[in-house]
Amino acid sequence: MLETLRAPAIEPSHELRDTCAIVGIGNSRLGRVPGVSSHDLLVEAMKNAIDDAGLKVSEIDGIVCRGPDESYTHHQQIGARLGINARFSTTLDNGGASQILGVALATMAIKAGMASTVIIGFGRDSWSRTHSSKEANLRNETRPDSQLAQEFGPEYGYFGAVSAHAFGATRHMHLYGTTRDHFGAIAVAFREHALRNPQAQMKKPLTLAQYYEAAPVVMPFGLLDCSLRSDAAGAVIVTSRERARDLRQPPVSIKGFGSFNNLRGWFNDDNMVTTAAKNSGAAAYRMAGVGPDDVHTAQVYDCFTYMVLTQLEDYGFCQKGEGGPFVASGALRMGGRLPTNTSGGQLSESHCEGMLQVVEGARQMRHAYPAERQVANAEIALVSGHGGNQVCHSTLILGRA
Amino acid sequence: MRDPNKKPTPRPSPETAHYWQAAREHRLEIPRCNACGQFWFPPSQSCPHCLAADFSWMPVSGRGKVFSFVTYHRVYHPAFAKDVPYVVALVELDEGPRLLTNIVGVAPDAVACDMPVQVTFDDYEEGVSVPKFMPRNAAAE
Repeated sequence: MLETLRAPAIEPSHELRDTCAIVGIGNSRLGRVPGVSSHDLLVEAMKNAIDDAGLKVSEIDGIVCRGPDESYTHHQQIGARLGINARFSTTLDNGGASQILGVALATMAIKAGMASTVIIGFGRDSWSRTHSSKEANLRNETRPDSQLAQEFGPEYGYFGAVSAHAFGATRHMHLYGTTRDHFGAIAVAFREHALRNPQAQMKKPLTLAQYYEAAPVVMPFGLLDCSLRSDAAGAVIVTSRERARDLRQPPVSIKGFGSFNNLRGWFNDDNMVTTAAKNSGAAAYRMAGVGPDDVHTAQVYDCFTYMVLTQLEDYGFCQKGEGGPFVASGALRMGGRLPTNTSGGQLSESHCEGMLQVVEGARQMRHAYPAERQVANAEIALVSGHGGNQVCHSTLILGRA
Repeated sequence: MRDPNKKPTPRPSPETAHYWQAAREHRLEIPRCNACGQFWFPPSQSCPHCLAADFSWMPVSGRGKVFSFVTYHRVYHPAFAKDVPYVVALVELDEGPRLLTNIVGVAPDAVACDMPVQVTFDDYEEGVSVPKFMPRNAAAE
């Protein structure tokens, strides 16, 4: 939390506001895509984004990705597949907060004159990996062994991200009276959205009763509190507003971004209940010159249902502790106060560590969806990214150009 | 290759070897800064409060309370198949630091946040003991 920070106050640069735009958007096939590496899924998404923008690949002079953890200089391997050299090229390491940070870094690189047109993307093959063997499926782990805890975890039967987030859920329930009804309302709302999205992994309607019937995993989380295992990739292309005018698609303006990192750890302070989204969001709002009341749709990092609820509080859509009643009010559904994860999110569309949240936020700002999927009159979208052992957070605010 | 039906045992690093050696002797000891006097966990070679590298391993009370907890129903590792449902908790010691652990000696549905607990040691195998926690009332009996 900020109170541990004694660095001088900062003011996010208003000069960056609305200076760059997303001009290309793409995704790969989503869900079960056996036999295709994460690298090839990412290149598939990038090609779709390049075609969408009406660009030639040789016009891309920047790459920002976040590799699979075991892949050395991942951006170089992607550049080789794209067949290009680049003025600016790097790989980020903030887990699910990386993808928005990539958009932010692209904007900064363009404004610094280091590149003109930057492609940002992430791909993963988690469905294929976790279905590669019985053991892999049991462990439900996609990180290499070298990155797994060797002590203070496995000896207690503590495995994976599900438990860390469930700790936060338990604590929130204890402090504020939040219930599984509230978590269920999030799962049900996102499933409704997925049913309108032909490429979503989940195809069947979901009721609150079915949410409760799903197998308990690490309580208070059952199976439907947990995001999907997916083979998936997404990509976006960022360029200057001037250059964006000459391209095929209506540009989506990058109004602001922010980040915060509770590096003291998820287990420390109150970080599992008031997350880094609070300070990340405050910074992004200041850069964009907007506040929560101005946001028409949110695409929130939904690794688990609880994370949606607590981030909505941290972003100021309701007070801390009131996330339960807020989501139960129907606010997240189409036509609600804040239609959220309108493609189905990581709970029901596909889990691509926040990249598809960026993709959906940008698509909503184009107003090109059929009416049933379009948030009516949406002018501002907020996108969140969360990861890196739960402590890294990034925020992106997009708008109609 | 370790028997998959045996629970994983901690693989200490140079920074944590003392902690596990003390646990083996059923003592809970964590680093305390000789400069600022604060405790920290997990162990490392410098104090995260003041960055001093001068510290001592100090026995602690073993008393604390449950900060948060979860109940495992799913089996991620075959050695825990006979344990489900079991409770994994974050316990805040009276001295301040929080430790990941199991809550034992109580039904999972009786565990609650802020419940007072007391350390106990589970001997996994020869030379390996793991600190766990049980309700403080039960520990007093």
